[in-house]
Amino acid sequence: MIRHIVRKEFMDVVRDGRFRWCAALVGALLLVSLGTGWVQSRNAQKELAAAQATARDHWESQGEKNPHSAAHYGVYAFKPRLALSFVDEGVDPYTGTSVFLEAHRQNDFLLRPAQDATPAQRIGALTAAQVLQHLVPLLIILLTFGALAGERERGTLRQLLATGIGRLELAMGKALGVAAALALLLVPAAVVGAAAIVVGSPGPATSPLVRGAVLAGIYLAYFATFIGLSLAVSARAPSARTALVVLLAVWVVNGLVAPRVAVDFSKWLYPTPSAVEFAHNLEQEMADGVEGVDRPDRAAVTQNLLAQYNLENVEDLPINAIGVFLQESEKFGNQIFDRNYGALWDTFERQGYVHEALAVTAPLLAVRTLSMGLAGTDVEQHRHFAIAAEEYRRDLVERLNGDLTENSRTGEVYLATADFWSQMPPFRYDAPEVSWVLKNRVLSLLMLGLWLAAAFVAATYAVRRAEVA
Amino acid sequence: MESGPESRMKNANKILTADESETPADSAGAALAPALEARSLTKRYEEVEAVVGLDLRVGPSEIYCLLGPNGAGKTTTIHLFLGFLEPTSGSAHVMGLDVAEEPLKSKTHLAYVPEQVMLYRNLSGLENLAYFAALGGKESLSTGRLTEILGEAGLEADAVHSRVSAYSKGMRQKVGIAIAIAKEADALLLDEPTSGLDPEASNEFSELLEQLKDRGVAVLMATHDLFRAKETGTRVGIMRHGRLVAEMTTDEIGHADLERIYLEHMHE
Repeated sequence: MIRHIVRKEFMDVVRDGRFRWCAALVGALLLVSLGTGWVQSRNAQKELAAAQATARDHWESQGEKNPHSAAHYGVYAFKPRLALSFVDEGVDPYTGTSVFLEAHRQNDFLLRPAQDATPAQRIGALTAAQVLQHLVPLLIILLTFGALAGERERGTLRQLLATGIGRLELAMGKALGVAAALALLLVPAAVVGAAAIVVGSPGPATSPLVRGAVLAGIYLAYFATFIGLSLAVSARAPSARTALVVLLAVWVVNGLVAPRVAVDFSKWLYPTPSAVEFAHNLEQEMADGVEGVDRPDRAAVTQNLLAQYNLENVEDLPINAIGVFLQESEKFGNQIFDRNYGALWDTFERQGYVHEALAVTAPLLAVRTLSMGLAGTDVEQHRHFAIAAEEYRRDLVERLNGDLTENSRTGEVYLATADFWSQMPPFRYDAPEVSWVLKNRVLSLLMLGLWLAAAFVAATYAVRRAEVA
Repeated sequence: MESGPESRMKNANKILTADESETPADSAGAALAPALEARSLTKRYEEVEAVVGLDLRVGPSEIYCLLGPNGAGKTTTIHLFLGFLEPTSGSAHVMGLDVAEEPLKSKTHLAYVPEQVMLYRNLSGLENLAYFAALGGKESLSTGRLTEILGEAGLEADAVHSRVSAYSKGMRQKVGIAIAIAKEADALLLDEPTSGLDPEASNEFSELLEQLKDRGVAVLMATHDLFRAKETGTRVGIMRHGRLVAEMTTDEIGHADLERIYLEHMHE
C-alpha cells in the first residue's frame, strides 16, 4: 500500500515545476560546492605538502651550525587537509594551517585563509556542508508543508482516508515519497563525493570512506528529522499557509538564530581572553614565573651540575652546562605553556560542550558539530594537531639541547655537522580515527538521535489527531 | 393494506421517535441485512447537536437520499459512517462492523464521493483512478480495466490521459464515481454529488447510480435536490436540526408530495 503512496508522491513532486527549479538550483549548488571544495582542498594540500618539503629541505641544508641557533632557526609544521575537508571546511579558515616551531616559544598558528579572503569571497563562500545544512532542509519544508494541510485544504484528505488507508501509512508514504524525490539530487551528490574520495583524496585521513558513510548517515538523520517535523506541523496546522509560516520560522531559528545564540551563550558562560590579553599574560608568566613554577637560574643549574660531578670549575664538566640550562628553561616554558594553552583549550572544550548541549534547541548545532568532526575540521581535531606539533617541537628542541649538552663543553664554540639535521625525524601527523571523533561527539550524536525520535513521535501524534476536514 | 394518496402520505409523513426501531426501510431493500446502519447515532459539539439519535438502515440495492437544509446533519452523518468523526453516543455500522471499533476494516466496504471530488492536478484521470483504487485495495487492476471503468463512469476517452488540472467539475465527479466503481464497494456514501453539475451531467450521474444499485450497492446520498432524490432514490429521509424527522419510500409519493412534506418540516 505504502509503495503506491510513495510512487504517487514522487510523481506529483517531480512533475511540479517549482520542485524541478528548486531541486536543480540546490543540486547545482551542491555539486559546484563539492567540486570547488575538492579542487581548493586538493590545491591547498599540494601547496602545504610542497611547503612542508621546502621547509624540511631548508632544515636539512643548514650546514654546520650551533644546535641552539638551529632551534631558533626553527621548522614549520603544516596541518594537512583531511580527505573530507572539501565537504566541510569547518574552523580551518579561522584556525590557521601552519605553525612555526622554535625554541622557547609555542607560537600561534599562521596562514588563516579567512584573513586572506576578499570581502566578496567572505560573503559568497558556500560549502557543500552549508548547502546540506541549510538549503536541503528548506527544500524539504517546501516539499512537505502541504503534505497533510494541503490535502485537507484541497479536500483530497477525506477521499484518501475514505479508501481505508491508515493515517500513519499515509504519512509514512508521503515521507518516503519526499525522500525519493530528494534522492534525485542527493544520490548524485553522494556518488560525486564518494568518487572524489576514491579517485583522489585531497589529503590524508583514516578510513575516508567510513568517515564519508558516517557523515552521510548523519545528514540522512538530519533530513529525516526535518521531514518528521514538517509532517507534524502540516498535520496540525489549520492551513497549508500556516504550516509554511511555522516551518519557515523553525528553519530560521535552526539555521540563523540558534547558532548565533549558542556561540554567544557559550562564550558568555565560559569567557576566553582576547588574543592581546592572552599574549600579555603569557609573556608576564614567562618573565616572572608563577607559584610553584620558577624560572630556572643559570648559576643554580651550574652549581647543581658541579655538585653532581663533584667538581669546582664549570670548564671541567664533561657536558655543556648551557645546554642543560637551556633544556631546564624549556621545561619551565613548557609548564607555563601547558598552564596557559591548557586553560585556553579547556575553556574552548567547555564552550564546545555548551554548544553541543544547546543542540536541544536546534538539530543543526548537533549536525554541524558532527559534520566538522567527521570532515576533520573541528576545534577538537585542530587541538589534536596542535598538540602533535607542540610535542614534536619539544622533542626537537630537547634533541638539539641534548646534542649541545653531550657533544660540547661549557664555553666551547660548538657547531653540529651538516649531516646532523637530517638525523632529526621530520614532523609526521596521523589524523585521529573515526571512533575517536565519534567518542568525542557522543553528546551531539545523542542530541541528533533525540531530535529524530522527537520528530518521529511528533509526526505520529499529530497525524493520528489530524483534522480530516 | 391502505392504498391511495392519503394513506401513502400518512406513511410517508411518519415522524420517527427513538423507540420506533422498525422503519419503512424494512419494506424495501433494507429487508436484507443492512449495509449501512446507524443506531441511536449522536454527535454533539459542545452546545451544538449535529446529529441526534439517528436510526437508519440502508440495504443492498437501495438508494437512500438524505434531504435537509444546510446544517441539518447530513454531512456529519456521512462523516460518522466514514469514521472521520467519533460519535458522542450510539454507533455507525458498515456491513455489520462498528466504525468506531474497526475504522479501517469498515472502510474497505465503503466508497465515498464528496460534493467536490478533488484529485491530484499533476496526475491524469487514469493515474488518479489507479492511485485511489490501489489505496482501496484494488492494486491489481490493469490499465485497460481502469480505462474501461473511467468509460463506464462516463469520462470521454480522450480525457483519460489528460492531467486533471484541465478537468471540469463534472469530469472530476465522474472520476470520483469511477473510483467507487473500481473499489467494488458494498456501500457508497455521496455528499451533494450533483451540486453544481449541469442537468445533463446530473442525469448521467443518476444513471450511474442506478447501475450501481443494480449491482447490489447500498447508496446513502446527502442532497438538497428534491427532484433528484425522488427520481433516483428508493427511499428519502428528511433531516432537520440533526434529527431524522421523516422517512418515506419514493414510489409512494409524487414530486409535489415530497416538496410539500419537505417544506412542512422546514417550517415547523
